[in-house]
Amino acid sequence: MVRMTDLPPATQTGMANLECPSFETTPFVSGPALARRRVAIVTSAGLVRRGERPFVSGNTDYRVLPADTPPDQIVMSHVSVNFDRTGFERDINVVFPIERLRAMAAAGTIGSVAATHYSFMGASDPRGMEMQVREVAGRLKSDRVDAVLLTPV
Amino acid sequence: MCALAHYLEEEGVPAVAISLIRLHSEKVRPPRAMWVPFELGRPLGPPRNEQFQVKVITAALRLLEASAGPVILEDFPEDDPTAVGIAGWNPPFDLAPGEIDVANRAALERALREEIRAVAPFHARFVASNGRTMVGLSGRGVDECATLLADFLAGTPSAASDPAVSPVQVLRWAVDDLKSYYLEAMAADGAVPSSRQMQAWFWDRTLLARAIIALRRQLLASEDQRSQAIGRMNLVPGAQVQRLGLS
Repeated sequence: MVRMTDLPPATQTGMANLECPSFETTPFVSGPALARRRVAIVTSAGLVRRGERPFVSGNTDYRVLPADTPPDQIVMSHVSVNFDRTGFERDINVVFPIERLRAMAAAGTIGSVAATHYSFMGASDPRGMEMQVREVAGRLKSDRVDAVLLTPV
Repeated sequence: MCALAHYLEEEGVPAVAISLIRLHSEKVRPPRAMWVPFELGRPLGPPRNEQFQVKVITAALRLLEASAGPVILEDFPEDDPTAVGIAGWNPPFDLAPGEIDVANRAALERALREEIRAVAPFHARFVASNGRTMVGLSGRGVDECATLLADFLAGTPSAASDPAVSPVQVLRWAVDDLKSYYLEAMAADGAVPSSRQMQAWFWDRTLLARAIIALRRQLLASEDQRSQAIGRMNLVPGAQVQRLGLS
């Protein structure tokens, strides 16, 4: 089990003191049963397609990951070295569970898998990503997505 | 992630965030989040364990059907069964790293390339069985990455091929590629050590790690703020800085 207390002291302090955004509203959208939902992944793992410009510190933009991108064409460019990458090296689904979603759609647990997924780089302040996330929301709605699974690292 | 969930939900797109730091989810209060007791970098838990990963995803997505919100924060109840590692684990190869002399560029480059040659068969075996590699961020081969590192340590950094990208940024990507190359090779035999075991071996037993630590020291002493930041944050994990007593 991994808890805050398992992290190096400096990382613990950084995590505890990290300024987090707070919101006055609490939006909450309902929808159909999971078996009828179209699911997309939005990750903050800094994933890019091979050959694409990697993320650098401070980036608040995003990359588009078409669902049919072969797993060997996706690499991680997150700037932090303070998380494990060996799990992702051995299995893309540890961070970007595209194959698992396909299996769940085939089994009828979810309705379908989105045509396109998205990656941000989580070391940047999420408040700086607001406009870009709203843009992604528009793209997701165009793809009829009504369920987003957000995966951090 | 939790702030992104808030923005998506405001736009009418239902979202559920997997949370690795529960404290942050408590602060941000997204519409829905599921905290998982896994290490940073593994939001879905153990690699190559489809059944477990589907269980995690299903538990998270089920929160979309809950009507108890807004603000649902639940805990996933199971640990990653592979997090404990393997007693006495070692990778399928051993290395004999010598001391490095950063001033002797040619000798350092030669030693790094020799070490890469020793690791190469195991990396090839990893890629053959795994079907993919994370190496490739810099767009350069690993030998070229080693040359870049030796050049930088000797004080003769190569110019970046893209003028919009600083040489030290390209160097960071090259270092990321080299680290991935070694860590993937270390997993060539299919054993599942903990990430902590793999990191300790890499930072204790490779010439590459010694070169990266020397690079960190050099960048920290630089007058260039971007170089300092990369040296401080983007080369050696905080856990290793602490374990190795680096200043």
